[in-house]
Amino acid sequence: MAELDDGPAELSIETVPGPTPVIRLSGELDSSNVGRLEATVASVLKAPPERVVFEMSELRFMDSAGISVLVRLAAEVEQVEIRDPSPIIRRVIEVTGLTGVLQVEP
Amino acid sequence: MDSRGVPLDSSPWLSRGAIVTLLTGLLVTTALAVTTLLLYDQNENRLLGLRAKELGLVLSAAVLPTQTKLASGAALADATAGSVTRFRALIEPDVGPGRQFISASLWPIGAGRPSGVVGAPPRLSTAQADDLFSRARHTHTLSVLGLLNSSRPGLGYAFSPPRSEKGFVVYAETLVPANRRSRLESNTAFSDLDYAIYFGHSRRAGDLLVTSLKSLQITGRRAAASVPFGDRTLTLVVTPRGSLGGSFFRALPWLVAAFGLALSALACLLSDRLVRGRREAEQLAENLDHLAAENELMLTEQRSIAQTLQHALLPETVPEVRGLKVSARYVAATSGVELGGDWYDVVAAGEHRALLIIGDVSGHGLRAATTMASLRHATLAYAAADARPAAILGRLADYVNGSSHDYFATVLCALIDVEAHHMTLASAGHLPPLLLVNGDARFLEMTAGAPVGVAGESRYEEIGIDVPGKATLLAFTDGLVERRGEIIDTGMTRLREAAAGGALGLEELVEMLPRRLASDGHHDDTAIVGIEWQN
Repeated sequence: MAELDDGPAELSIETVPGPTPVIRLSGELDSSNVGRLEATVASVLKAPPERVVFEMSELRFMDSAGISVLVRLAAEVEQVEIRDPSPIIRRVIEVTGLTGVLQVEP
Repeated sequence: MDSRGVPLDSSPWLSRGAIVTLLTGLLVTTALAVTTLLLYDQNENRLLGLRAKELGLVLSAAVLPTQTKLASGAALADATAGSVTRFRALIEPDVGPGRQFISASLWPIGAGRPSGVVGAPPRLSTAQADDLFSRARHTHTLSVLGLLNSSRPGLGYAFSPPRSEKGFVVYAETLVPANRRSRLESNTAFSDLDYAIYFGHSRRAGDLLVTSLKSLQITGRRAAASVPFGDRTLTLVVTPRGSLGGSFFRALPWLVAAFGLALSALACLLSDRLVRGRREAEQLAENLDHLAAENELMLTEQRSIAQTLQHALLPETVPEVRGLKVSARYVAATSGVELGGDWYDVVAAGEHRALLIIGDVSGHGLRAATTMASLRHATLAYAAADARPAAILGRLADYVNGSSHDYFATVLCALIDVEAHHMTLASAGHLPPLLLVNGDARFLEMTAGAPVGVAGESRYEEIGIDVPGKATLLAFTDGLVERRGEIIDTGMTRLREAAAGGALGLEELVEMLPRRLASDGHHDDTAIVGIEWQN
């Protein structure tokens, strides 16, 4: 309900399954649509892989709700890789002290 | 929900606007119709006056054949020394029933009786003869005598030629219809008029010559004209049988009235519909406004409940630590009604020492708020046992990681030694605090460990710094600096620039910064807490 007036933000989630699943995010990820990412992550965890890759070159914004999903996933799998995050998202990960938890590439 | 909206208007009566339109229409119509009627009336009067004059000219000319015939007889008598035979021969074809005259006679002047008579004997008395003939001798025109009071009413005419040598007067009589009824049927130009012709100036029935009317009581439009008739005068009264200007112009006022009425009624119905439509729209808008106001009220109430709860979870008062000024604010998100997970505490930690804690639980809602409350109390409990920031954060992380959880929290701890002007800080993923010294503002450089609730190592680094006198430390949560689509450094620079300058005291900074920096509809709640050395 934090986004009462705005409705869900625009977000597209694309999953490439495999031994190392790749989840491609584009648009904006916040509390209004984080439920969709949670569902995607839950389906990936049905057969827990060692590594999950998030491709974020097209993701413009991510708030703490999105980070929360990544952090929880990091507790379940060996490695969570964030690929090509925007400077904004990269900085959020840095200031939140999560560089040791989430592997940011490059 | 209370739907206090007024029911939509379904009154069978015309709206006031429509009635005004109708009355205006009727007024204009009446004015137009009356004007048209007046113009029509004026025009008819003018036309009738013209007709009366024309008819007068025709009547006036009617005397000429009589005058010509009588003048011829008089001239002949003069020329023939009063030959009755010649006179008779001249006049006889015009005398008799159905002819111009019923009687014609030749009178030597002063004889007292006629020398020759054709047709009926003359009916004029001696006195009438004296008077008439005297007039005839002194005028160049025909002298006329009314013989109307008899069973065979008629007119007598006398003519005497001017400068007559021997002196003869020719006298003739004509009849008028006994009932005076006549029509100038031959004169089609006047077929649309009724008329009455009187002998002389009066309009008495006794002086009536002829009329086309059944009754002499003329009601309505009429015109009169005096017409010279020989040495006498006829009075002509005319009245139109129909409209002289034509039937269209007669009907025009009524056409105008009918058209105007129809137009007024149409305008009235149209404006009634318009007025009703507008009223309905206004009422709908009013109802909508009402609903919106109710929604707003409910939202405000919910937000107010949430804020009350939130404030109940936060410290009511900040502690008094000697030599230290403390101030804090919590500002709820402007949109939405959910609880936030931000918290802060400032507690005394032994003599001359205070511990500042600020934290932010991920997510919103009751869950985040209750998590915040349990983290807050756990932190205070660990602080009571060991006030070193790194130790507090390490224990807190172990506590969270040791239980099932689906959140994480960023926490900053600062242990302040008031007398020694020294601080020790540690951060679990929290934004660094801002240090203000003599108007200069800078963020403390410190390495943040992982937030609590994140799997992995739960060791935190401490930094220690000395602060000069009158320094101010501001710790805050990300709601103060984070804006969508903007790198967080930009927001932090904004905060640093807003806080720098040294003009404001702690209380003003804590009050002003959230209001100014989170002005554009912030979606996140914000906590800010500050301490200031008093010397």
